[in-house]
Amino acid sequence: MIHVEHLTRLFGPFGAVRAIDDLSFHIERGEVVGFLGPNGAGKTTTLRILTGYLPASSGSARVCGLDVLRDSMRVRKKIGYLPESVPLYRDLRVDEMLRFQARLHGMSRSDFRRRAPAVAEQVGLGDLTRAMIGTLSRGQRQRVGLAVALLPEPEVLILDEPTSGLDPIQRMEVRKLLVELGSAHTVLVSSHILPEIEAVAQRVIILAKGKIAADGTADQLVSKLGGERYVEVHAALGPAEGAASKARELLAKLPGVRSVQDQGRVGVHHQFRIVCSEDLREDVGALAAHKGWALRELSFRQPKLEQIFAKIALEFESQPTLAGGQGAEVHLAVPAAQVPQAAGAAGSGLTQLALQGTGQARPPAPETRVVANSAGAAPAPGSAPVRAVYNLNPFEQGAHRDLSAPKPAPAKPTPPPAKDSP
Amino acid sequence: MLLSGSWTIYRRELAGLFLGPLAYVLLGLALFVNGQYFTVYLKEVSGEVTDALTLSGGVSVVYWILMVVLPPLVTMRMVSEESRSGMLELLLTSPVSDAAVVAGKLVAAVTFMAVLWSSNLFYGLLCHFLGTAPDWPALLVMFAGSVLVSALLCAIGLCCSAATSTPILAAFLGLVANVVLLSVPYLAGQLGLGERHWLVRTLSEVDLVSRHAASFMRGVLDSRHLAFFLAWTVFFAFVTTRLIESRRWKT
Repeated sequence: MIHVEHLTRLFGPFGAVRAIDDLSFHIERGEVVGFLGPNGAGKTTTLRILTGYLPASSGSARVCGLDVLRDSMRVRKKIGYLPESVPLYRDLRVDEMLRFQARLHGMSRSDFRRRAPAVAEQVGLGDLTRAMIGTLSRGQRQRVGLAVALLPEPEVLILDEPTSGLDPIQRMEVRKLLVELGSAHTVLVSSHILPEIEAVAQRVIILAKGKIAADGTADQLVSKLGGERYVEVHAALGPAEGAASKARELLAKLPGVRSVQDQGRVGVHHQFRIVCSEDLREDVGALAAHKGWALRELSFRQPKLEQIFAKIALEFESQPTLAGGQGAEVHLAVPAAQVPQAAGAAGSGLTQLALQGTGQARPPAPETRVVANSAGAAPAPGSAPVRAVYNLNPFEQGAHRDLSAPKPAPAKPTPPPAKDSP
Repeated sequence: MLLSGSWTIYRRELAGLFLGPLAYVLLGLALFVNGQYFTVYLKEVSGEVTDALTLSGGVSVVYWILMVVLPPLVTMRMVSEESRSGMLELLLTSPVSDAAVVAGKLVAAVTFMAVLWSSNLFYGLLCHFLGTAPDWPALLVMFAGSVLVSALLCAIGLCCSAATSTPILAAFLGLVANVVLLSVPYLAGQLGLGERHWLVRTLSEVDLVSRHAASFMRGVLDSRHLAFFLAWTVFFAFVTTRLIESRRWKT
């Protein structure tokens, strides 16, 4: 449906600014593709070339098999375009604006009468069709802009930042609408807001400095570019000599484990990072229950598209431990005596049963965070004097604060210099 | 095919002009000034309606002042404002050519000016029904001359609007261009170089006031002058189209 080959666009004197550089991608019929990139990445320039508004400096772009430069008029008839600024005549009524668009596209009166109420209903304009555009809110104007783009029944819908400037509820409504539109049109939607793209697009093209930095579904990008997934375990293992190394060996034997990193001890808790290919929390939990380890933390971490976007587009190494992860974090202090012996295969759910049986756990919910004080964990008898450590961020060692250490004295406010009285 | 869609643009522009307050201010001003001068001249020419209408609506200094000032005010927003608001992007990504966009806008501006100058026809009609019929062919040729001069100056104004992104600057540039176009041939004649001097002869060829428009104001429809106005109007419309195209490269 859309074929872009080696597209380059230069701006400025002597082509000093390369807005897009050797861009190539293909979009099939019925795909909803998100164009993602920071401001200035070349999203709008690419969309403008596809709509025939801008010519490319080199390369070719074809929409529905037609060259956007040579068959510009025919291409424009097949495209519904909503620019970022949502241009509308403010002195017209909504239905007049729709009629203007119908005339521009050479629609017959009967087609207009058939399509106008349909698109008004589709975008949720309701009884606003006789309202003056100048009196509408930003969100309502966005809907009118979408209706204008949809009116001529375009095969391809190109939307540049369609949720820009909207409040959260309006954004949600526009997202819902875009998902609906995806069933009937090939949609290319650009945004620099990642959740917008994740919510509506099956496929994501990330642009950075005018080049394609990544292209694929969100899951593909995460699995290909996201780096490792891991389970983070903080547990009190008991006073026995070599408990940490034994625990590490046991953890390494779990199916699906690639490696286990011993990240040292904070207070009574040993910290392990288990690099794995899938979520092994239930297996680790079952093992902990079996061995009587008092778990303080058990969480599964995997990189999100947001981190990949930041890493690729903004050219800095993402910090997965500081950014939000997926899955639940469970902080518990369970005396070993109360934990029944249990064993099961990976994913058997034994861990959940065990934890819920104690009455101290709740089923993990995605994106849920429960932060507990380490004082909740029982110190192992005979262990070294325990420091009272408050874990600010359970995923990062560097973010602990030792409460037993003297607090830094707060800076005294400096009194303003006294003014000399005249 | 080249101009398909221009009718839609024309209707929209005309509606835009008449929906704004500026149109009524300009129309009121023109109606008042023309009416005032028509009354004054009617007394001076001893009730000769056609002469009075010719003086008030084609020869007087006030007529030419209105002719210099009004077209830039009418056309100043047509491209610059639409470019700023993003409407131009919507138009230029619709299945309508750049030439059709310019043609629609230009004809709308000329229509507005024609409505403005039609006050003379209204006064002529009024006198006709009151018992003194004017020389209608001469009056209509004079009206056609006013429309042709307006078309040229509107095309220049539209060109200025396409060259800038600020309506006020477009109006100023258009005003300056009109003043230069109308006054330079006259000023060259005042330099004392003689009628045969190449500069005077060259500038007299583009003398709107005393050469090209004057024949219309006398009620004479001369095809040379008709061709002059049409050719230069089309030329400036073409330049406007190229300026809009160049925005695509600069954007």
